[in-house]
Amino acid sequence: MNWNLNTEHYYVRFSHEEDIPNIYALLSKDSVVKYHPKNPMVVEAQAMDEARRMVMQFEAKEAAFWLVEEKATGKVIARLSLKKFNWVSASAQLQVDIFADYKTQAILAELVYAVATLAYEDLSLHRLEWNLLAEDTSSTDLALAFGFNHDGQLSDFMEFEGKWIDYQVYSLLNTDDAWQNAIKQQGLPKE
Amino acid sequence: MKFVANVDFNGGQLRPLDKSDVDSIVKIYQKQTLAGQSETASKEHAERMIDLSVQMAATQRGLMWAIEVDGQMQGMLSLYDWQPTSLKTLMRLDVLPPITAVQQADALSAGIDFLAQKYHLRNFSFHCLPTGDESMIEVIQSVGFNQQACLRDFRRTSQTEFSDILVFNRILESVSLGESS
Repeated sequence: MNWNLNTEHYYVRFSHEEDIPNIYALLSKDSVVKYHPKNPMVVEAQAMDEARRMVMQFEAKEAAFWLVEEKATGKVIARLSLKKFNWVSASAQLQVDIFADYKTQAILAELVYAVATLAYEDLSLHRLEWNLLAEDTSSTDLALAFGFNHDGQLSDFMEFEGKWIDYQVYSLLNTDDAWQNAIKQQGLPKE
Repeated sequence: MKFVANVDFNGGQLRPLDKSDVDSIVKIYQKQTLAGQSETASKEHAERMIDLSVQMAATQRGLMWAIEVDGQMQGMLSLYDWQPTSLKTLMRLDVLPPITAVQQADALSAGIDFLAQKYHLRNFSFHCLPTGDESMIEVIQSVGFNQQACLRDFRRTSQTEFSDILVFNRILESVSLGESS
């Protein structure tokens, strides 16, 4: 199975050793990580540790991580992840880390479609879940635009910097009309 | 060392599982409306569950209580996905007749009070099936649980079929971050 994906404008690929600066550049930006929520990285050694964890989680079949390289510039603009693979319930959680300038519906439609296609067709998953903060309205709007359903809230799911965090749960099933339409259209809605 | 405490409630007691509970556990897991049950539940499974319940409690990953009323095991109150750092846990209530809804609610309340006091847990959840779990939903709502989400097709029920899961939460506000008790 080929885990490296090729979309119209991007290489959606696994990371390699030379990607440590790319990972650091991405995850050291508060605007990229604040809605997960996480603190931005402050030293490159954290990116090295993150890369190691990505490999370990993939080898344990717990998660998969892709860096998104823009074909035109070679710049790594995002990281997409499928986490918490549940092979019994055939589900996984989507996570998107992307530079704010690239967080548009057109770009994410291209990227999410590529990863979701792999999830549903190659991994035989049934449910993708996207857990978002309510205040991350650009992401919640995108989730709805792509046909994700708002399933509800996971209250006080975790603690971050002295506050309890609620996650809004969005899901997309491979049987959903939105996904079936995406297959027919060969893509998620770009606008 | 004892990892599962005895907790009294009005008319009964939560207590650790023991070998005498095997037949009751088998009955519980043969009750078709329960999520995760198996028609082939066997005594061996029940015995293994009793052993695992001790390991789970010892490592704070989970906990299983027998609900005893009038000297008889009439159900189980269990914790799964216990996350001590997030002060939360997923719970499960499995009962057998003749335990009443009031007794179930009393048992659940007593368990939650104990877990809040002893382990500072504050976020309690139940995952319920939309059909078949109605009586349990009434019980948990009577002790303050509210539905927060309906996770579509969250649980696989066969090779090709899935069921929604209703998520109920009860959050105790008395434990705030940074508060030392």
